[in-house]
Amino acid sequence: MKNLEELKAYYDRALLPELNVLETERKKVLEKIFMATLVMVAVWAVFIILALKLSDQFAVFAAISGLVVWYAVFAFLTRGYVSNFKTGVIDKIVKFIDDKLVYSKFGKVSQELFSMSRIYNQRIDIYRGDDYVSGMLGRTRVEFSEIHVLYETRDSKGRRHEHTVFKGLFFVGDFNKRFKGNTVVLPDTAEKLLGHVGTFLQSKNPARGQLVKLEDPDFEKLFVVYGNDQIEARYILSTSLMKRIVDFQKKTGRRISLSFVGSRVFVAVPYRRDLFEPRVFRTVLNFAPIQEYYEDLQLAVDIVDDLNLNTRIWTKK
Amino acid sequence: MIMALIVLVVIVLFVVFMYNSLINRKNQVQNVFASVDAMLKKRYDMIPNLVSTVQTYMQHERGTLTEITEIRAKALSGTLSDDEKVDLDNKLSKALGGIMVAVENYPDLKANQNFLQLQGSLNEVEEQISAARRAYNAAVTDYNNAIEMFPTNVLASMMSYKRKNVFEITEAERQNVNVKDLFNA
Repeated sequence: MKNLEELKAYYDRALLPELNVLETERKKVLEKIFMATLVMVAVWAVFIILALKLSDQFAVFAAISGLVVWYAVFAFLTRGYVSNFKTGVIDKIVKFIDDKLVYSKFGKVSQELFSMSRIYNQRIDIYRGDDYVSGMLGRTRVEFSEIHVLYETRDSKGRRHEHTVFKGLFFVGDFNKRFKGNTVVLPDTAEKLLGHVGTFLQSKNPARGQLVKLEDPDFEKLFVVYGNDQIEARYILSTSLMKRIVDFQKKTGRRISLSFVGSRVFVAVPYRRDLFEPRVFRTVLNFAPIQEYYEDLQLAVDIVDDLNLNTRIWTKK
Repeated sequence: MIMALIVLVVIVLFVVFMYNSLINRKNQVQNVFASVDAMLKKRYDMIPNLVSTVQTYMQHERGTLTEITEIRAKALSGTLSDDEKVDLDNKLSKALGGIMVAVENYPDLKANQNFLQLQGSLNEVEEQISAARRAYNAAVTDYNNAIEMFPTNVLASMMSYKRKNVFEITEAERQNVNVKDLFNA
């Protein structure tokens, strides 16, 4: 476990040289973007003026497509810089946290594992992710990455709409007990709002399996548990694990979900912002963003200790 | 006329629903108790192996080991009421707990591969029994709620359903194992 001072020392010693190189690159990229924007705005203005002569609707279409094109050009120009940043900085922070971990900037937790977790039951149309970390922490094999999952719908006019199923950090770890079935822990809304009626409605959810009512009141306020076996669910969710999950939820301050399937534990931590992306419009030399990357990574790595996964006193070693 | 008929049908459906839900809960309690029983049996099955593994090492614990073997014999004799089963189980938990604490004083035993594996299995069975007990308590609480809360309590008293007890640890068992006493066994 490293603390903030050690990170600051590491930052001064090993990260600053990299960051200086990247800062130069960033400035060059900004220049290119500025030039490209000027050109695009000029073309865009001409395009809109011409389009207005044809029809108003065409002008709106031209305006919107201009924005789309700008975004594509922006992504293209920053690609190399982002990749270099991740190799130069994020990779080093991961190794600083634990040198047994391996970072892969374009890797992601597989869609198969994501679906296997049973946390999200919606159809998956688009599955994206990056910043994949894997390795062995103590006796626990772990992997996690950023994941963005979406499904599409078409409205009456045939236009495609995208809806987010999940966006954030997705963690998969080896669980320290053997079990056969599946148990899912979801954030609780109905019970909180509706009390007994809420619990009654929750028990009638056919897609989810049996409702498991547990004894820890703090846990029950935050989560609703579904599983295929009442005893196995309680075997997994011991009184101590329930306390640890509540503490972890308080630590993240987010609506986390967990599940226990195939002898693994899955943890889904939703984030609105993109994690581990470098700044383009501000300097990268500051310590604050480095601290944020470190804390985001450490949160995921600490799940092993927070959920006590390295305690192996049962038959699964 | 039609109105009265509809009201009657609704009432009948409601009663059927309540009746079925009571039966469901009663059966769930029995179902889970059967699982508790199965887990307890699993633990009883591990006793001979445990006793033979540790008795050569643990010279001072002979008394506790004999007690454990006796408890097992009684439990497997097959003619116990539910309450007696629970009582024996509590006694066994206490005795086993004592043995596991005493192991700290036998470093040879602690390093023994057989014993370590056995300890892992025992821990697992204990956790499963604990999980089964909790599930039983949840099923019983559900059942008790249904036979005591309105409107199902009306139907329940007509069916002569009685309140059941949850698994409780008696006051004696709640006291911590006295390690000094163990050494005098």
